[in-house]
Amino acid sequence: MSGAVGREPVFPTRQSLGLMKSKLKGAEIGHSLLKRKSEALTKRFREITRRIDEAKQKMGRVMQIAAFSLAEVSYAVGGDIGYQIQESAKQARFRVRAKQENVSGVFLPQFESYTEEGVNDFGLTGLGKGGQQIQRCRETYARAVETLVELASLQTAFLILDEVIKVVNRRVNAIEHVIIPRTENTIKYINSELDELDREEFYRLKKVSGKKQRDVAQADAEILAARQKAAEKEAENDAPATAAPSTEETEAPDVLGEQEDTDVIF
Amino acid sequence: MEGLFFNVNAGYVEGIVRGYRNSLLTGQNYSNLTQCETIDDVKLQLGPAYGDFLAALPPNPSTSALAGKMTDKLVAEFRYLTAQSTGSTAKFLEYLTYGYMIDNIALLITGTLHERDTRELLERCHPLGWFETLPVLCVATNIEELYNSVLIETPLAAYFKSSLSHQDLDELNIEIVRNTLFKNYLEDFYNFINTHPDFSGPTQDVMSEILQFEADRRSINITLNSFGTELSKPERRKLYPEFGKLYPEGSLMLSRAEDVEGVALAVSANADYKSFFDAVGLNQGGGLGGMGGGPADGKSLEDLFYQKEMEMSKLVFTRQFTPAVVYAWMKLKEQEIRNVTWISECIAQNQKERIGNFISVF
Repeated sequence: MSGAVGREPVFPTRQSLGLMKSKLKGAEIGHSLLKRKSEALTKRFREITRRIDEAKQKMGRVMQIAAFSLAEVSYAVGGDIGYQIQESAKQARFRVRAKQENVSGVFLPQFESYTEEGVNDFGLTGLGKGGQQIQRCRETYARAVETLVELASLQTAFLILDEVIKVVNRRVNAIEHVIIPRTENTIKYINSELDELDREEFYRLKKVSGKKQRDVAQADAEILAARQKAAEKEAENDAPATAAPSTEETEAPDVLGEQEDTDVIF
Repeated sequence: MEGLFFNVNAGYVEGIVRGYRNSLLTGQNYSNLTQCETIDDVKLQLGPAYGDFLAALPPNPSTSALAGKMTDKLVAEFRYLTAQSTGSTAKFLEYLTYGYMIDNIALLITGTLHERDTRELLERCHPLGWFETLPVLCVATNIEELYNSVLIETPLAAYFKSSLSHQDLDELNIEIVRNTLFKNYLEDFYNFINTHPDFSGPTQDVMSEILQFEADRRSINITLNSFGTELSKPERRKLYPEFGKLYPEGSLMLSRAEDVEGVALAVSANADYKSFFDAVGLNQGGGLGGMGGGPADGKSLEDLFYQKEMEMSKLVFTRQFTPAVVYAWMKLKEQEIRNVTWISECIAQNQKERIGNFISVF
């Protein structure tokens, strides 16, 4: 998993580590917020689904009654009145108003139906016969259209919510499965790089101090050796006093040379 | 005596109509129809009566297509009768078509008023109300031209001339125009029946009764349907035919009626109508004309009127030597088409509980 996710191309520095840490924190907060939003929307979505189911069943019943009342009209009038109705209707009696509802930041359109009471365009249709059936048929159909409007607003909300929920879930998943692991990976990488650097540094220091110790030990040994030689020479000089000054003179620049060398090394 | 020479001119037509009458669906047929599960079954059941006309229908036709084909048969038979009739019988048959012509012309007026292409409307016209010069009316582009061509070209000129001007066509609601025309037509028909020497005797008897009933029915319906609309009382009164059993006192009371009770009071002088109103019940309020929210037996005022009309039409066949049988047969046939449409509609929409709501007389 972590191999597939990869990491961000950053230099493993302490600064970017800080950046990454704050990013991870942000991502976690965003994730929990989005998750909550998605849950709220899903709740709403389920409710709407349930209401759509109810509305659809209601629509089935109402449309059946409406179609039947049309059959009654054609029985009573004994002919087709469609054309006449179409021509005499001039103004809409049944109207629809659109509103907006805000559900966790998503704007859902809502349609609201109302009837314009004053409008009665074909009130006289079927005056000779069947007029009452026609009026009742109109009422039935008005109810049917009301159900349809309700259903329409639910369906629109359904589609929009569906889309939004998909987007939100995609974001949640992206944060959960890509951004957070990737940031974590980066942090891990930076940490490991920094550790590596630390270790290198430590090793180097160790090496240097080891070398130092070795040098010190050598120097000590040489000093010791020199002292021993000197002591031996002294002892020699004590015995053959004449030879001693010459060796002392040859020995002395050599020691100095040695000391100069060590000085250079240090 | 009046029957002595009847058969010379109209005997064949009457015979044919009596034959047609026998092909009307009976109660047995209807109970078979109500048992059907699909429209195809209905079609099959109608086979013996309608034969060729339904053959062209596709499987599971729509109810309107079915009704259309049935109407085609009615039209074909009626055309045959018109072709066979002469003299006063031919005139009588022509009168029968005037009612459909009024509907057709009202359709064309509506089309012209809304500046539609009236040629498209021709196919929507009822074939029985078709006359040769009907397409000429489509030439008219504005309402005044239409008015003039109606006056010149149609047999309905008299009905227009006496009560409507071309401004009226523009201003009045088309339904008022239609009902005015229909009122004039009914009055003219009534007059024709009662004054024509050939029709004294049985024709006059039965047709007067039927037309009076028709006039009363229209008056009552117009009154009931005008409640709650902008139709004023004086205007309403103008639409009542000026004859009938309710005329004049009943009509006057109807014109003053403000609610269903007023109508019931106006018609209470006549035993038949009173019994209708009693049967339907006064307390239904606006639901009087309907079958929807009606009482348990499902009969509405409109149904009762249809029922009465059918009974009267049935009785006409007990009389001989009269072209009134043609009228009766047409009404019965139309009711039959409505019945079948209703039944197939019930079957198509799966609303079997109300399937028995038709009127069968035989």
